[in-house]
Amino acid sequence: MNSAENFLQNKQLAQQASNGPVLSGQQQPGQQPEPVQPQPLQQLLTRPDIWQLASGQRRPRTGISTGYRGLDALLTGHGWPRAATTELLIDKAGIGEMSLILPTLAELTRQGRMVILANPPHIPYAPALVQAGVQLEKLLILHPRGQRDQLWAAEQSLQSGACGALIQWQGKETPADKDLRRLQVAARDGDCLHFHFRPGSCAQTPSPAALRLQLKSDGEQLALHLLKQSSGKSGQRVHLARHPDLVRRDQPLH
Amino acid sequence: MLWLCIQLPKLPLEALTRAHRAGDSAAVAVTQHSLVVEANQSASTQHVEPGLSIATACAYCAELQLLERDPEREEQLLQQLALWAYSFTPVVSPRSAEREQNQLDSNFACLYLEISGSLKAYRGLAPLLQQLGKELRKMRISHFMGLGHSPSAAHLLSQLPEHRQWLLETRSAPTPQQWRQWISFAPSKLLDCSHKAIAKLYACGIKRVSQLLAIPLSEVGGRFGRGFIDYLARLNGSRPDPVPSFEPPAEFHSELFFPSPLDNSEQLLFPAGRLVRELCRQLQRRQLYSQQLCWVLDYGSRGSQQIQVEVSRPLLDPQRLIALTKLQFERVELKEPVQALTLKCQQLRPIESHNLREDFFDEGSKLNESYQLIDKLKARLGHQALSGVTLKESYLPEQAWQNADSLTLQNKARKHHLTPVNAPRPNWLLPRPDRIQQRDHKLFYDGELHLLQGPERIDGYWWQHHRHARDYYIARGAHGSLYWVFQDLTSEHWYLHGVYS
Repeated sequence: MNSAENFLQNKQLAQQASNGPVLSGQQQPGQQPEPVQPQPLQQLLTRPDIWQLASGQRRPRTGISTGYRGLDALLTGHGWPRAATTELLIDKAGIGEMSLILPTLAELTRQGRMVILANPPHIPYAPALVQAGVQLEKLLILHPRGQRDQLWAAEQSLQSGACGALIQWQGKETPADKDLRRLQVAARDGDCLHFHFRPGSCAQTPSPAALRLQLKSDGEQLALHLLKQSSGKSGQRVHLARHPDLVRRDQPLH
Repeated sequence: MLWLCIQLPKLPLEALTRAHRAGDSAAVAVTQHSLVVEANQSASTQHVEPGLSIATACAYCAELQLLERDPEREEQLLQQLALWAYSFTPVVSPRSAEREQNQLDSNFACLYLEISGSLKAYRGLAPLLQQLGKELRKMRISHFMGLGHSPSAAHLLSQLPEHRQWLLETRSAPTPQQWRQWISFAPSKLLDCSHKAIAKLYACGIKRVSQLLAIPLSEVGGRFGRGFIDYLARLNGSRPDPVPSFEPPAEFHSELFFPSPLDNSEQLLFPAGRLVRELCRQLQRRQLYSQQLCWVLDYGSRGSQQIQVEVSRPLLDPQRLIALTKLQFERVELKEPVQALTLKCQQLRPIESHNLREDFFDEGSKLNESYQLIDKLKARLGHQALSGVTLKESYLPEQAWQNADSLTLQNKARKHHLTPVNAPRPNWLLPRPDRIQQRDHKLFYDGELHLLQGPERIDGYWWQHHRHARDYYIARGAHGSLYWVFQDLTSEHWYLHGVYS
């Protein structure tokens, strides 16, 4: 939500707060009571950018399930934030970063939504994706050339409303804060999940993303550090075990 | 059957001077074999008439501009008019001008339209004729019309002034009896036969068709031949009167010429929009679609440039096509000023009903949105920047997948029947296996590698000259990453092939 919208909403709320009691005072006895206006406080509480600590447990599931119960419990919407950017900060590939989002992607493709991979670092390997339950015909891979085309393609895909999730890998250049904000707005407009893989060094710079997770490897587990979460607590850590088939140790032959 | 004959008397002139502006008043005449064939308004006020020799015409009007007749262009214009007429009725037949040696045209070019099926759509005969006349006047094509129960009759009656007068006032088509009256009333010089035959008719004293019809047919046949009897039968409606039917071409081709060349690709958008709208109108009429728009920017003598716009679904909305074109034009840098812009569509395909059904029901709008997005991405990023993946049957891991055409993405009928191997496979595959350093029986790839699992032996293509024999392992790197590595059994080198991300 940009500052202009915020400002307008605040103004409306202020007006309602000042008008409310006056209206009820003018009401004549015997007249039909006016339809009950939502209380200003409740209106305030429904705003997504106001964080309520107390109601954290009662909050309904608004997010899209990650497929990992431990992670769902930490997130405010009990899942990936819907129609928003999720930043995944990672330095080293191969620690289970795709396995983290694959259950969600598989579910989206099964629902018939399109999933777009923009600038993947390597070839997405079809047999592994099918094993994870992804419907390959709903998967589109983009290789735009140059930073401008990349951002354009990402924004168009997010905005279109046709796309269930966009997974984007940051190229060599770091996108400007303005561009990240545009992507976040585009994701909101198009009701699209946006996963943005960025290097761990970006953790220091602020970002408009709704959720920022730092991914590290801890032995045979994937260690997640929740850096930022809009309207929720941050700073928690969670360890997710990798698939037992992968980390099972055979008797070495050599 | 109700046939309309539209005669185009000034086609030779109009084919050459259509590009002139409306207010142009220079005297122009079209010549052929040193005879004036046609003259425009301002020339005929100075007594320049068809049939004069060039010398006489120039004597009448000193500043007369002479143009050589161009039959090819005339034919082109006639085809264009036939295509225009095709929007009123599916049965159209163009007939080009006929001439005899060193004579003026005995017959003008004309169009036959069978309009009995279109009367209801245009709410009667009079509105249809008005609409036809209005559009012809807009195109600045001079014409006169005749109505008949057969093409021959319509042709004959179109030359009869009384019939034309009646046509202006009529509300409904006449009865068969009225046809006969009109035809017998017509003077016999209007019959569609050779000058010689007409001269012979007049020599016999036959001035009206009624007189001719009163003579027994066998007598007429004896004097004028079988062909003439045949013609009379067609005129009467006692014999079918077939005309060649016009088939619109299965491609679209239209060109706009700029008198002053354009040097900015943004300026091209306006004429491009005009061409696209023309295309869409034609496609909609004929229920066709095109998968590709091919734009040709003509730099005159300095060559030309082609731009392709691909469309994945039947799309008849000009706004969307213009938007896709705009994305392409934005990337184009004009080398030279553009003199002409051409839009070509080589293959027009019929819109199939099952395509439409998909639009109305099951998740149609989402699917449409996806196709629009794909078209947009393709237009800006290029065809090669988009791909999909599918499974492929192969022993070799690097051949167990392939690039899929992104167009088939949403095709529901196609399901992969292949099932992948039931062994842990990496999410990322390296395009080429990466060599792993090997020292003292240890493997190093960004730190030391520990083998966790394996081996899984994949041995394929031993029956061909290049054998692939590999032992695959899952290995863990120093930073906790899981890799898919293999040892080539022939060379004993180690390679990294995939990443378990």
